[in-house]
Amino acid sequence: MYALVDATSFYASAEKVFDPSIRQKPVVVLTNNDGCICAVCPIAKRLNIPKFGPYFKIKHYLAQHGVVIRSSNYELYADLSERMMTVIARFCDNQQIYSIDECFLQFKAFNSMIDDWHQYGQQIRKAVWRETCLPVGVGFASTVTLAKAANHASKKLSGFDGVAVIDNEQVRQNILKRMKVSEVWGVGSRLSKKMQVMGIITALDLANQDAKHMRRQFSVLVERTINELNGVSCMSWDDVKEPKQEIFSTRSFGHKVTDYNALKSALVSHVNIVARKLRQQNSQAKKLYVFAHSSQHQANYYKQSTMVQFPQATSNSLIMANAVVNALPNIYREGVLFYKCGVGAIELESNQFRQSDLFIPDSNNEKLMACFDAINNRYGQGTLQIATESSVEQWQMKREFLSPRYTTNWREIPRIYC
Amino acid sequence: MKVIPIYIEAGISGFESPAAEYKELRLSLDELLIENPSATFVGLASGESMTGVGIFDGDLLIVDRSITVRNNAVIVANYNGCFVCKHLNKPHAQLISAANNYPPVTITASDDFQIEGVVTRVIRVFEPIRGLAQCMP
Repeated sequence: MYALVDATSFYASAEKVFDPSIRQKPVVVLTNNDGCICAVCPIAKRLNIPKFGPYFKIKHYLAQHGVVIRSSNYELYADLSERMMTVIARFCDNQQIYSIDECFLQFKAFNSMIDDWHQYGQQIRKAVWRETCLPVGVGFASTVTLAKAANHASKKLSGFDGVAVIDNEQVRQNILKRMKVSEVWGVGSRLSKKMQVMGIITALDLANQDAKHMRRQFSVLVERTINELNGVSCMSWDDVKEPKQEIFSTRSFGHKVTDYNALKSALVSHVNIVARKLRQQNSQAKKLYVFAHSSQHQANYYKQSTMVQFPQATSNSLIMANAVVNALPNIYREGVLFYKCGVGAIELESNQFRQSDLFIPDSNNEKLMACFDAINNRYGQGTLQIATESSVEQWQMKREFLSPRYTTNWREIPRIYC
Repeated sequence: MKVIPIYIEAGISGFESPAAEYKELRLSLDELLIENPSATFVGLASGESMTGVGIFDGDLLIVDRSITVRNNAVIVANYNGCFVCKHLNKPHAQLISAANNYPPVTITASDDFQIEGVVTRVIRVFEPIRGLAQCMP
């Protein structure tokens, strides 16, 4: 048996943990730089507040309805996530943390001890609620893709109370036929559009396709998804934790940027973050995607991007920073009010399987990078910087509605009235 | 990760430290005071209503959400949108202070009330701690 456990509107729920004054109120959380709404609590959902809508567009509507607005408090979310994951881990043989608010569970030896999965799911929910004050949904099934579908049902479909168990054909069909194909794990919006043209509307429609045929039409991944939806386990436990195939670092500016050097320092900071993450997961990038654009909500929308190909896959911050600096003249245009920029490492390869090139000397200088990381890990990120990053303040995040870091900063711990 | 530091000993050193064999991890207050780290948080006490049990203004309260609440336990609760620290009288559904001049508060159905956790330890701050917000007078 597998399970997927995830928190209900995690960021918004996390805001309520240490601020009891907003528990009964509608709460929304904004993304970086307070640009868009990224989490909507269940009370706010009843006001039909759209997720991922730009904040400024519905500012007045939110004020009218007394909606509480918060900036993303990543320090708080990271700590609460860790607490939540620790509590959940007690309940299974293996846990795979998939994102900040969701994890897969694998049951092996535990199987024989559990007779009522539904009740067991409620037990997990109660423990997490009691110990961390976070609401979670639990979905059980025989494959990871079905577990993800069950989790979706546990929270979104009527007839489920936070737990859904797919343990017979009737429940499987009932859930899949009420799910859109785009909501199936592994089916993105692009794939689902193509499928809809073929008449595949619900998850059940997809499950009923001929897997071999769909493999020819799409990919082996779609074939696997179909098999998984039919209860045939194809994803190994390792697939769930596969290292990321792309790493992006992007952010919108606090104040719009027009200066060439300001854009350069922002992009170099992003590339440095990307390079660090690459080294953390022991991979290297063959290509780097660099982009910048102005606001979509303003006239004369400008977007420019470029792809840099490295002669040899790399995770060296300096090589990647140079690539960004060289690419910048293709992206920058005078007079444009840049609103957002970022870089992405793509075509990653693992250090383990790296091919070295006979004619290119290895320029990665791993020792230097190891030293760079060691210093920054010990004394805090940013202690040692690439010089081009220097004017970072100009593009630091705007977080106007930030709540206290209740659990990670002594000055901000909650006050208890006696 | 906790590491036991072992110092490199050059061949020229005279005598090995007689204590080297007995080296252990240094005492950790976290380990002693916090039994369930993922269910525990620390708050700052503000007010004088619990002085009878030794909770004073400016004390640090360690609160465990995972412990079963016994009758009369010292708890932290959400009472109408505020964290409060009181004794909980379960049979009468009352929040009881531990100081004179603070009458009991009866919890009614119209109140917003949830138990947050049990106060397991209190830390008195005798000398000011740098890096800790001081309580309002």
